[in-house]
Amino acid sequence: MSDADPNRETTLAPLRSRGLIGLWAVLFVVWMVANSTVAIVVVLLGAAITLPIAWTFASSGNAWSGIRRTPGGLLHFLLYGATFLVELVKANIAMMRYVYAPRIAIRPGIVKVRTRLTSPIGRLALANTIALTPGSLVMDLKGDTLFIHLLDIDGIGADAMTEAIVTPFERHLEHVFG
Amino acid sequence: MIELTGSLLILTGAVFLFSAGLGLVRMPDAFTRIQAGTKATTLGNILIVVGLAFYHPEWAPKLALVIVFVLMTNPVSSHALSRAAHRIRTPMTPTTVTDALADDQKTGGTGGTA
Repeated sequence: MSDADPNRETTLAPLRSRGLIGLWAVLFVVWMVANSTVAIVVVLLGAAITLPIAWTFASSGNAWSGIRRTPGGLLHFLLYGATFLVELVKANIAMMRYVYAPRIAIRPGIVKVRTRLTSPIGRLALANTIALTPGSLVMDLKGDTLFIHLLDIDGIGADAMTEAIVTPFERHLEHVFG
Repeated sequence: MIELTGSLLILTGAVFLFSAGLGLVRMPDAFTRIQAGTKATTLGNILIVVGLAFYHPEWAPKLALVIVFVLMTNPVSSHALSRAAHRIRTPMTPTTVTDALADDQKTGGTGGTA
């Protein structure tokens, strides 16, 4: 094996671009928080355990690539988090109104929505977010199409409602995940 | 005072969890029940865990981790349950307006591109 062996570059570079380092960092932080100590043995053991896990997932797919670790990306992630918390509380209050109504008069339905997001992890984040926002639940994800179950389709109409649910999150998520 | 705040948070969380249980009983079909179960349990769990953090501040980092895991796994389970229910053609409540997913499967599942 000479120093100019081209294989070394081709095996390492894809893993780096697939987000091995980022995934490793996330797993390592989870390990450290779960252990709540900075003892040197725990730190070394955590690094040794999380690296193969991160390696396995980073080399088996490129879902972890494309996360933007820039100040702008971080800002949009925080804004997304804030929007999400507000929507979560609204979702719960709306749900309580349905649950405690004397008669549950709802007209549910499944509608189709297209997303602008292209990265798999961005779409995953959007689908998970929609599941926790008022009256909506993602049932299937085919390519760029989300199938959303709406609890009560009446009122604004399906198109306006889906726009109101998807667009606010998309705006922030596309800056974080692309 | 700190313990009172924690207790109130846990009580509020318990109210949300009770509503989720009541929603499971009162909602008309499987999908609307999943909706009731997903949302109210998420906020209920978060409030109870935050309330616990008031009682035991030294647990706070681990409790934050619990919240993150609940937020990530709860929607995924609701998604898997509802998709499976739709696949085996669980009947939807008669007031259901549209079912774009069934229409899509009838036309050969060409709903998505890329």
